[in-house]
Amino acid sequence: MLAWAFQVAVVTVVVAVVWYLVGNYQENAAAKNLTTGFGFLDQPSGFPIPDSTFRQTQRVRDALFEGFLNTLRLAVTGILLATVLGTLIGIARLSTNFVLRNVARAYVEIVRNVPLLALVLLSLSIIQTVFPPPQDTWDLGPLTVSNVRGTSIFWYEGDNGKFLVVVVAAFIAIAAVARWRRAVADRTGHPARTALWALPIGAAVTVVAWIVVGLGATAPELDGRRVTGGITLTASYLAALLALVAYTSSHIAEIVRGSIQAVPKGQGEAADALALSGFQRMWNVILPQSMRIGLLPIGNQYLNLLKNSSLAAVITFPELTQVTKLAVATRAPAVPSFVLLLLIYLAMSLVISLIVNLVNRRLRIVER
Amino acid sequence: MRRTIIRSLAPLAVIALVAAGCSDDDDDATSGSAAGGDTTAAPDASTADSVATGATAAESSTPDSAEEVQTGESILDTVIANDVVRCGVRDDLTGFSVVDDAGEYVGFDADFCRVIAAGVLGDATKVEFVPVVADARFPALQAGEFDVLVRNTTWTASRDGGDGADFLHPTFYDGQQMMVAADAGYDSIDDMDGANVCVVAGTTTEGNVATEFAARGLTVNVLSFPDIPAVQTAFDEGQCDGWSSDGSQLVSIRSTYPAGPDALVIFPDVFSKEPLTPAVIDGDTAWAQAVEWTIFATITAEELGITKDSATADSTGDDPAKVLFLGGANADGVTLDPGLGLPPDFALQIVSQVGNYGEIFEANLTPIGVEDRGLNALWSDGGLQYAPPYR
Amino acid sequence: MTITEIMAVPPPEPERPKASGPGDWVRRNLFHSVGDGVITVIAGLIAVYAIYRGLRYVFVTGRWEIVRVNLKLFMVGRYPNDEMWRISVALSAIALFIGTAAGFAVMRRRATGRTDPTAVLGPWWRHLLATAARLWPLILGVAILLSMVTSSGPWLTVLAVIAAGIVGRLLGPFLPGRSGGVLILVAIAGFVGLILFLRVPIDVTDWGGVMLNIFLAAAGISLCFPLGLLLALGRRSKLPLIRWLSVTYIELFRGVPLYVLLLLAYFVVPLFLPSSSANPSLVLRAIVAITFFTAAYVAEIVRGGLQSLPRGQTEAAQALGLSPVKTMVLIVLPQALRNVIPSLVGQFISLFKDTTLAAAAMGLLDLLRVSDAVVAQTGFAGQGLTGEALTFVMLLFWVGCITMSRESQRLERKLGVGTR
Repeated sequence: MLAWAFQVAVVTVVVAVVWYLVGNYQENAAAKNLTTGFGFLDQPSGFPIPDSTFRQTQRVRDALFEGFLNTLRLAVTGILLATVLGTLIGIARLSTNFVLRNVARAYVEIVRNVPLLALVLLSLSIIQTVFPPPQDTWDLGPLTVSNVRGTSIFWYEGDNGKFLVVVVAAFIAIAAVARWRRAVADRTGHPARTALWALPIGAAVTVVAWIVVGLGATAPELDGRRVTGGITLTASYLAALLALVAYTSSHIAEIVRGSIQAVPKGQGEAADALALSGFQRMWNVILPQSMRIGLLPIGNQYLNLLKNSSLAAVITFPELTQVTKLAVATRAPAVPSFVLLLLIYLAMSLVISLIVNLVNRRLRIVER
Repeated sequence: MRRTIIRSLAPLAVIALVAAGCSDDDDDATSGSAAGGDTTAAPDASTADSVATGATAAESSTPDSAEEVQTGESILDTVIANDVVRCGVRDDLTGFSVVDDAGEYVGFDADFCRVIAAGVLGDATKVEFVPVVADARFPALQAGEFDVLVRNTTWTASRDGGDGADFLHPTFYDGQQMMVAADAGYDSIDDMDGANVCVVAGTTTEGNVATEFAARGLTVNVLSFPDIPAVQTAFDEGQCDGWSSDGSQLVSIRSTYPAGPDALVIFPDVFSKEPLTPAVIDGDTAWAQAVEWTIFATITAEELGITKDSATADSTGDDPAKVLFLGGANADGVTLDPGLGLPPDFALQIVSQVGNYGEIFEANLTPIGVEDRGLNALWSDGGLQYAPPYR
Repeated sequence: MTITEIMAVPPPEPERPKASGPGDWVRRNLFHSVGDGVITVIAGLIAVYAIYRGLRYVFVTGRWEIVRVNLKLFMVGRYPNDEMWRISVALSAIALFIGTAAGFAVMRRRATGRTDPTAVLGPWWRHLLATAARLWPLILGVAILLSMVTSSGPWLTVLAVIAAGIVGRLLGPFLPGRSGGVLILVAIAGFVGLILFLRVPIDVTDWGGVMLNIFLAAAGISLCFPLGLLLALGRRSKLPLIRWLSVTYIELFRGVPLYVLLLLAYFVVPLFLPSSSANPSLVLRAIVAITFFTAAYVAEIVRGGLQSLPRGQTEAAQALGLSPVKTMVLIVLPQALRNVIPSLVGQFISLFKDTTLAAAAMGLLDLLRVSDAVVAQTGFAGQGLTGEALTFVMLLFWVGCITMSRESQRLERKLGVGTR
């Protein structure tokens, strides 16, 4: 009874404070003639978004969507690269090789202990000095054209849905090949050599599907000072990506190292006893088990990367936060805009948590 | 309807709630070190505050009617109580507002902050300069981070309406132009099809460039950067073909460009109207008109021919118009108090401490190469600067 | 794979006799196999190139004038020149306290028979060397700073700080055995007192440089820990409404970026406060935003520690007749917190680094923003000195973070986390 009284009291206080604050906001908004609704979403934005088709005459709503896409571009690419790099460095941290071990250690100890924001600013500065001005562009044929404004690479052209079809087809092909090879290996005892089979077949399927669905391709081409065609990774995108990947990979490396160490020693010894190669030992025995231990902390790093992508706003990469700031600077009211921003990030975080938890549950079921 | 929307903002409110809940704790733990500082001038105001809050609380049973939200005191009272004007400025534009080697804010905008302080408080030095970047200025104005925004800000309808800003009298009529490197091989904007044009983020210039290029049937990629040094770095490294901003800004940037002014060319085309105007928060008429009339005073002083040096003498001189304007008694021993909430001698303080409009213009903008008053000449000289009569 | 197959694997080679000597070390650690040799060469080239570029940058190509000229701005922002003695006094006081606490802790460990078996027992200079080896990043940082100063003040400050630390270390063991609680009270009172002392000339809002980062971090850490603790207990509470509130809070704050929260604290929070009151200062709002954000993480870490504790501990305490509160305070929390010290310190290191976001979002003149400002100074503008300024900033943060992390690892070893 006392417990309930206490709970009700706490909740009442919370509700009262919220009510008080919202009341203040209403009062302030009325006194300062601030817009409180979300009608601004359907107004013209008044600013263009660089390296996109978004024009200043389009709606704020569409600007935010463009920013959302840019956040996704940054976060998804960053998560993929940081996972690969972080895993490699985490393994290197445990290498028997003195030089490799210490190079990896130096990388981790340095990058982990400096502010991400400083890394973002530094990588922008590095990209601005390392890449050549447009008149000295690095022109590597149809594959990539690169200068200080950005790096353009060969890319698909046309309907996104068609591209998705191609990706899914390739994925299904690779998965099918992997399954088949495993079955063969189980039946005959021959090595599976999955990668050797899956990669060429996957590539072939990709090309065939590309042609079948009628997806186009666009190659970058240097035209005076301009680059046409291809897809352009702008300087600010590359800078943000570089910093996010460097920072997150140093954290993932530590998690990978810890979870490899947490795999019972007997597992590695058993792999040695089976005369597995170093790669097989790591890929088939150690990593799958350490994945189970490291998955949740690595999932948290993915969340952090997503949230940290908001720092790209500091170097004006037009991701969600930056677009919101621009919208607020132009005409959108601050409170509804920032609340919307928070809710979008919250939703994205929840989706990532959900995926990580699902994968985690699946791994656990396999374990038992 | 609006209330429902507001009440549905619960998540944010939860955050704000914890913020408010904790701010008390912070006061204990850090012994009010952070909070105490800002409210040093509060003792006077605090009693007034509690009265005002009480009144609001009593009336808040009907929070939808428009009158009682005005019960909060005017910023004018707060400024007088704190004895300082907090002025939102920029810190990166020579001629308008920049920090000099001695750590002082100098420039045209900085001087108008001093004009306001001289007019309201009688002392041009009682300004607290609050540097603010372009894309933060309106939210910061709404949040009350400063009392007045003097940050060569363009007056537009959306800002007036949506951003809670109340624009006063334009201190500078400007227009947007385009600057390119002299060796870039461009002779006019028409040569710049597909160019990268760099601007400062969160300004009207982003949209203007896109609109202008579209009107000429050209494509353009508008890159934005947080401040002028960042644009300059990008420009130097070759990220931009063109640099666009208000003409006066471009003149200023060109005058201090490290490689020398001749490395840059400004095209003569002016493709937008940019009335650069001080702004205050909407809904505070007393404060708005006080600030507005301090600005008018600089123009009136120039119309009347009162200068910084002559102001004190003129205030007791024999020209009745000047004497009246400077707060002196007329022939019948009566001084004019127009009821603006300003001291009767506010114009005298402004002109004698800072100068008239022309003097402020020449002191700050002539050195950076804005030779011609142009639209900013007095109306009597064919310009647009015109002050309503002081009487 | 069948049992017979496993059995068919030949037994491992007999272990080679452990030879000593550099040749053998090289063989085992660098050229174990062909692949190993390739890795050594590639990684070695990367390392040599990085070190070469690094050294060249530090000693040849880097133009460090911009740091040297603005050193004071980097360290303390616009703190008045005449009042710099206050900073020396504050640093010495902190050193005195840390020294005393360390001396006291060592004495207690001896008295209770928990002496660290690895502790170096020997002449005093051996102690000193061990301390120096332990704190080498910090000493390196201070040495770099001292190499750039032009006046005698910083030298005197460093000497005073070292002296205060040593005096404290020597005094500490003479404190009465039950001074632990008093020391904590002194720490809290001293923290408050130092802030009051330092803000006499200029207010906290006008502080700058690394001093502002340290202040924000110290305030954030000391506030987020109690809040996080409460939230963790709330989340484990049997009362549904309290649990629900805690979960909502934690998930809400963990799901949004700190940078956006700070923008919110800057732009939006004032609109939710009564219009008649003055806005809370930017520094206060920054501290609150950082505290609320980090508290959610601290809560999750503490919850992990609580969950890791065997139920038997609580049951044993209840069997002894301890009240729930006493069980929590005396039995559960000490053990749970000890288990999560590394994660907590990791979170506090993050918080220290995140103070740069506060300044970026709100326009405070912290260390990182100083680097931005000096690059645009007349005389340095347009010369591409961003790299130099940022390198210096990163060095200072690195020194702070690595020192915290090394000390936490040492504490972890001393407390035997995971080994008991």
